[in-house]
Amino acid sequence: MRQKTKTKSIEKHLSHWGITFVLPSIVFFSLFNFYPILNALYTSFFKKKVLSLAAPEFVGLKNYIYLLTSANFWNSIRATAVFTIGTFLPLLLASLIFAVFITSIKRGNKFYQMAFYSPAVLSSVVSAAIWLLIFDPRGLGNQWVNNLLGTHGTDHNWLADAMMVQLSTMIVYFWKYIGYFIIIFIAGLASIPKSLYEAARIDGTSGWQEFWRITLPLLKPTIVLVSIMSMLQCLKTFGIQYLFTQSGAPQDPINVITMNIYNTGIRDHRIGRASAMSIILFIIMLVFTWIQFKSSKSDEVEY
Amino acid sequence: MKKILCALAIVALIAVSPVFAGGQQEKEDGPITITFWTHEDPNRTEIEERYIAEFEASHPNITVERVTQSSTKIQELVLTAFAANQGPDIFNMSIEDEYAYIVNGRVAPVDAEAAGYSSTSSLVGSYLEGSLDPVTLDGKVYGLPLELTNWSLYINKKVFKDAGLNPDTDYPKTWEEVAEVSEKLVIRDGDIVTRRGFDFRYPYYLVSMVPMVEQLGGQLISDDGKKAIVGDEAWLSFLEYMQMWGPNGNNLGSPTYKNARKLFNKDNNDIAMAMTGLYQQGRIRADNQEFYDSGEWMVVPFPVFENAVNDTAACYYGHYYMVNGQKSAAQQKASWEFIGYMLSHGEEYLKTVNIIQPTTELLESETYKNMPYSDVFSADMERGHVVYFGEESAKLQELIKGAVESVMLSGVAPQKALATLRAEAQELLDDM
Repeated sequence: MRQKTKTKSIEKHLSHWGITFVLPSIVFFSLFNFYPILNALYTSFFKKKVLSLAAPEFVGLKNYIYLLTSANFWNSIRATAVFTIGTFLPLLLASLIFAVFITSIKRGNKFYQMAFYSPAVLSSVVSAAIWLLIFDPRGLGNQWVNNLLGTHGTDHNWLADAMMVQLSTMIVYFWKYIGYFIIIFIAGLASIPKSLYEAARIDGTSGWQEFWRITLPLLKPTIVLVSIMSMLQCLKTFGIQYLFTQSGAPQDPINVITMNIYNTGIRDHRIGRASAMSIILFIIMLVFTWIQFKSSKSDEVEY
Repeated sequence: MKKILCALAIVALIAVSPVFAGGQQEKEDGPITITFWTHEDPNRTEIEERYIAEFEASHPNITVERVTQSSTKIQELVLTAFAANQGPDIFNMSIEDEYAYIVNGRVAPVDAEAAGYSSTSSLVGSYLEGSLDPVTLDGKVYGLPLELTNWSLYINKKVFKDAGLNPDTDYPKTWEEVAEVSEKLVIRDGDIVTRRGFDFRYPYYLVSMVPMVEQLGGQLISDDGKKAIVGDEAWLSFLEYMQMWGPNGNNLGSPTYKNARKLFNKDNNDIAMAMTGLYQQGRIRADNQEFYDSGEWMVVPFPVFENAVNDTAACYYGHYYMVNGQKSAAQQKASWEFIGYMLSHGEEYLKTVNIIQPTTELLESETYKNMPYSDVFSADMERGHVVYFGEESAKLQELIKGAVESVMLSGVAPQKALATLRAEAQELLDDM
């Protein structure tokens, strides 16, 4: 009994140190994450102008009702959904394929890792600036595609056409973030014990079978992680769309929720309505994350 | 333990919140530091740094900290700073962005005596009639103009000659001629335009496109302020013109091509005509002295439609120096003293930066009259009026942008674009 008490006391003592070490992070996280979320929730129930010194008017759920009946907001939901589906699925699939390819080659895999990862270190502003030059009517985008398709002199309207501008934002995002997810997949692949492959080879499996029966099931936690991270990032996309519209691209096709929040809050000064939009986006992200977690827990594999 | 952690987190939040919420007020009798936020302009920086040094030498207890921001970013930086009650002492932006600060009581009225005038009426009397109207509310003046700008049409004579046109006689006087002349000047590689005749300044719809509608008899807002998008025929004709201009029409230009005003200075056979202000001359000189000295450019009046019912030129807009009303009385007084000192150098601003401070003294000076094409700008200013300013002007501009882009780029019919524009603008107006 005495021994048990002593052990518990040591555990308690150690846990105090653990808490001490994580406390700065908790405070930091509370200050910069929880507080803004709670503040946005509170503000979303008010009609509040950024510059007004008058007390904001309590409007209850009016901001939410306005948004849910607003064609402009539903267009933002559509733009965000199109961008997320059009970007996160190809990102997930391509980064997995490239990661498997890079780990399977004997020479030059460090070079490939670096080459794929390098766009991820650029800021969105720099990335957009590079691609704005490429998508300029006289830029490389038209030249490459026209050379490839033999359609000399055709302007593919990368930034002007409603469909093309959506595709253009997806291309930039894909280019920028694929390296980041490849690195995560490579780390996941490295954690799978080599002995499993050796045993499988002794049993006469083919490379294809190894991938489907060993790699993919054991990589599942990494796939879930990458899919959640990439989906959340896509839902929060802002910089590329903002910079494209600043450079003359039409806004409606790429008016994603975050850009609508920015324009409503900063340009139009309606911070209450912008807060309601951010709460809706937060709920959307929470629901999708929960669904992904739930669906991934149904058939977990251990080794 | 979880409870303790939560409690600690809340305590920490409360403990640090004053750090974020607090502002610093200078002591009334102590040294004063003035923060001055303005947009980037290298020519202005040079002279204003000198004004600061001179002002600090004559006011030893005042320090001026000048901070420059990108002209596209300053609006949100000033806004977020004011939202946190941490705005600068002095700032300047375009009146469309500044007006909300006046109506929300964020800025202080001009201290005429500190700014170097005997009274407010003498201050008002020294400026061009009407130029202080946008910053006047309930009889009080809330800003002093750094510049009042209007746009006319700059022409590169070399490009005209290259296309077999005589710039002195063939320059366009009407919007129909702008399109006709542009068709003669444009060079295309298939669908891709490699040289444009003219192109619009797309982000500035209130300044340059609303006057086009007004020429045709339309209005942005009715005189009583209750109805938005007045005069369907005028708006439709304007939208049809823009549809014709874009890549799905005659393919003469598009918002996605490089900014025509910036390309103009390069004189590299990219653009023949661009719409911009007198300040462009300073920029041409800084970017391309050879072109500036060549005499191969000229300025002609803002065009009108052939069937125009109003002879309206581009709107003029102002950048006004304003002072943060949340600062102490001593800081406000020092700020107006410094603004007054800077603005007492109107002629140097005109000669060095090519910006016009609309004082009657400057506009009647030989310096202004001798500036190339200042007569064209003066005449166009008389034909124009101040740009629409109001709390919702940025949103209104965005709605017009949406309508123009939808007909130019997305193949939307002008009637449908107009209906959408009218509905959204009216909703905005009703909500004001």
